[in-house]
Amino acid sequence: MSVAEIEAREVQMEVGTGDLWSEALHRLVRNPAAVVGALIVATFIVVAIFAPLLAPYSPLYQNLDLVADGCCPGPSRDYPLGVDDLGRDELSRIIYGARFSLLIGIVSVSVGLTFGLLLGSIAGYFRPLDSPIMRVMDVMLAIPGFLMAIGIAALLGPGLGSVMIAIGVINVPIFTRLMRGSILGQRDNDYVLAARAVGVPSRRILASHIIPNAISPVIVAGTLALATAIIDAAGLGFLGLGPQDPATPEWGTMLTDTVRYLQSAPFLAIFPGVAIVIVVMGFNLIGDGLREALDPKLRGRA
Amino acid sequence: MLRFTVRRLLLLVPILIGLSILVFLWIRALPGSPAESLLGERATAESIAQIREQYGLDDPLYVQYWRYVQTLAEGDLGTSISSRRPVTTEIKERFPATIELTLAAGLFALLFGIPLGFFAAKRYGGIFDNSSLVLSLIGVSIPIFFLGIILKWIFAVRLGWLPSIGRQDVLIEADHPTNFYVLDGIVTRNWEAAWDAVKHLILPAIALGSIPLALISRITRAAVLDVQNEDYVRTARAKGLPARTVDSRHVFRNAMLPISTVIGLQVGLLLSGAILTETVFAFPGIGTWIQASIENRDYPVLQGGILFVAVVVVVVNILVDLSYGLLNPRIRLAGR
Repeated sequence: MSVAEIEAREVQMEVGTGDLWSEALHRLVRNPAAVVGALIVATFIVVAIFAPLLAPYSPLYQNLDLVADGCCPGPSRDYPLGVDDLGRDELSRIIYGARFSLLIGIVSVSVGLTFGLLLGSIAGYFRPLDSPIMRVMDVMLAIPGFLMAIGIAALLGPGLGSVMIAIGVINVPIFTRLMRGSILGQRDNDYVLAARAVGVPSRRILASHIIPNAISPVIVAGTLALATAIIDAAGLGFLGLGPQDPATPEWGTMLTDTVRYLQSAPFLAIFPGVAIVIVVMGFNLIGDGLREALDPKLRGRA
Repeated sequence: MLRFTVRRLLLLVPILIGLSILVFLWIRALPGSPAESLLGERATAESIAQIREQYGLDDPLYVQYWRYVQTLAEGDLGTSISSRRPVTTEIKERFPATIELTLAAGLFALLFGIPLGFFAAKRYGGIFDNSSLVLSLIGVSIPIFFLGIILKWIFAVRLGWLPSIGRQDVLIEADHPTNFYVLDGIVTRNWEAAWDAVKHLILPAIALGSIPLALISRITRAAVLDVQNEDYVRTARAKGLPARTVDSRHVFRNAMLPISTVIGLQVGLLLSGAILTETVFAFPGIGTWIQASIENRDYPVLQGGILFVAVVVVVVNILVDLSYGLLNPRIRLAGR
């Protein structure tokens, strides 16, 4: 689930006063760190969506005259963040790069979330399937996530798609475990017993009673997973597993390409790196804010 | 305690079996059949069939899996395509470098993370606390390879204080009986070489240790804040113990419990992060080796490297689990 959807959901929930969601929203807007995070993420999403309008140049446009005397002229009036070794505008490439980071983040977390929620709900609710599913997840969790992502991306070959699948897969066990734990916590509650007593089929109990109540830790983890996904994607790009096509200026790949010029043009590595740090920080701030806001123990303290 | 230990060790078995199945399936799924890659462009239909027969590639999957496990049990991880040397030999040569780097990074994270978190909690809400929170936020938000590049740029390229690549200056003559360069320097009494190896470790260790540092200081802060309000701490204060004794005997010791579990979880993070850090600093350990294998499509190396690191992480985590049982009697007794 993307942050936009989470926010939409909260706005929708705001109508009925006194419920968990509207209270959570109130607490969230009173948390300055979370507001800063939301502003960063909102800016990031706007930049990603309107990249063609905001970027001064096309990410592919090369001004080779500028790099004729070697790499690379620093920031100037026409090129506020300088140009890279092929004479392309650094600012425009960073702006377009926001699209890929956002895309990778959303797609990979959605993949992890979808399969994780599905497997976690099944494991948590249908006892016989619990053990087999969780043993597979244990094995997956035993391997360091980034290492497994390298293995999967190397298997599929470098590219945007492999990065998204690789990061999606390493998110599956995390969400499965979380969802299962959350459901186990809900399953024996009185309202579930009541629903079962009046003969509601178990699939509906799961879908309309348990999951909505078990979802809030998943939302928090999802936001934080977006942050990790962007860092991991940049790491895979840095190792040469990212998109190889010059038309996709992925931030991690941009860093790899320019490390060679660290002595003469350090800004080429610094600007995309700073972009990653700011965006990841935004998601982390929102995630931490949501964690505090959705914590039922803190209800009524706003 | 014995029962607890045996139970934990038994947990290793299914995980190692699962791991071997995953890696086996991964090898099977690689693009291009092994027969074709062995024969190269000279492959004909007959020669492929012959190779398939010779290597048992037509056998049922479970037979092939069993054969794979047998070769693993013999300590055979295959041969590198690019260097034509056994994968295990290369691991033996390179792993000491990664251990050295990981230990240095872990030490850095512990030595700075625990005091940072402790004093932040002591001065809860103060300037020190808030700045440590901001620092740890940056710490978890910065990709390690980017931090590595920044450190390299400032301290190696601009200031020239520390070396930017490798493990040892090429001009220094040193023997390497153990391949742990710092230890080698000390053992052979070559202090210049030992100091040089330490200097080569500083920047990569800081880069690699930054995320664990941020996490450890956060957890320490939270744990100390938690423990501080416990009844036994209030009792200790009420009976007039000096503040320092309360801190060291009651607060710190009990706060160490959650910290020790987090430390165990860092091992996986450190070893997978080492791949990126080593790449930035051209540090010749397992990480640069795996990175090169990605570039060269050297799948035996990639397979061996991933399997090896994963097994190390699993084993270390079990050991940490066991030590946690030693530290915390509640866990040990609950395991009965």
